[in-house]
Amino acid sequence: MVPPGDDEDDRALSPEETLRLIATQRAETARFLGGDPLLFYGTWGVAWVIGFGAYFLHYGLSGRAYAPISGGQALMILLVALALALAVTMYAGIRQGTQVRGPSQARGTMYGLTWFFAFFAQGVIGGHFSGMLPPAQAGLLWSCLSILVVSILFMAGAAVWNQPLMFLIGVWISAMNMIGVAAGPGWHALLVAAGVGGGFIVIGLVLRLRQRTA
Amino acid sequence: MTAAGGLPELDPVIHAQARLRVVTALSTLREGDQISFPGLKDILGMTAGNLSVHLSKLEAAEYVEISKTHRGRTPVTYVALTRRGRLAFDDYMVAIRALLDTAGARPPASPDPSDPGA
Repeated sequence: MVPPGDDEDDRALSPEETLRLIATQRAETARFLGGDPLLFYGTWGVAWVIGFGAYFLHYGLSGRAYAPISGGQALMILLVALALALAVTMYAGIRQGTQVRGPSQARGTMYGLTWFFAFFAQGVIGGHFSGMLPPAQAGLLWSCLSILVVSILFMAGAAVWNQPLMFLIGVWISAMNMIGVAAGPGWHALLVAAGVGGGFIVIGLVLRLRQRTA
Repeated sequence: MTAAGGLPELDPVIHAQARLRVVTALSTLREGDQISFPGLKDILGMTAGNLSVHLSKLEAAEYVEISKTHRGRTPVTYVALTRRGRLAFDDYMVAIRALLDTAGARPPASPDPSDPGA
């Protein structure tokens, strides 16, 4: 069956086997280049559940804390969780990102810098106004500004890479943010922890399963 | 592209499992992007020697373009499909699908004349 002059691992494949081979190889390549969705969404999801979960316990839903966590402690927990998630996902991203060069790399660099500048601007704006607000409202301002940045950059990233799912995730984050702001600090923290953080963990698991079965 | 019997011929350069996997992996890159040789090797799980042999054959057919450059002081090789390689892969996909349709859609050599869809 092997055509003359061909290679050691080549017995002739049926068209079905050939298509399956192509599909498998595409999935494997996407997994390698796109990274592990569970690593990305799972890591950020856990960070948000822990960080905003701490804030939720601090604020409570009716103005009374559910656990003895001070505002300063909640902030510490959130910052440490986010810093760890950033370190993990950046390490993974840099390892993959260096394999491909060309227009995609330039896009990725500009997109990455956009996150940096957006959060920098958020810091400047939040820093300017938060001193004028009571602590709970100042905390809410910081939270909703940062979630605003995240939601917009998800939608923008979806536009850059033509990823409709990513766009929907951005819309979902934005919805949680708006409802949370209207409902108050405790609700905002709960919605971000459970709705966004929990949602990320679910999405990571679903995408990982989908990759496995692809 | 079509042989005398009406069946499409498969491009022999691509229709070899290892090279089909190489071309498939490269085809998922966006046009204009290149992948490093070690990256491609890791994706495919091939040895460097094996991958080199297949890339040379693909390069000889002008299906891939190999560019050598430096990152700092380390030499790095980048690989990408050429336009011709992309077209060849597209044609290959069309041919495989046609073969599948021929094999699955009707019994060999006797298309049913009463089939309104035929």
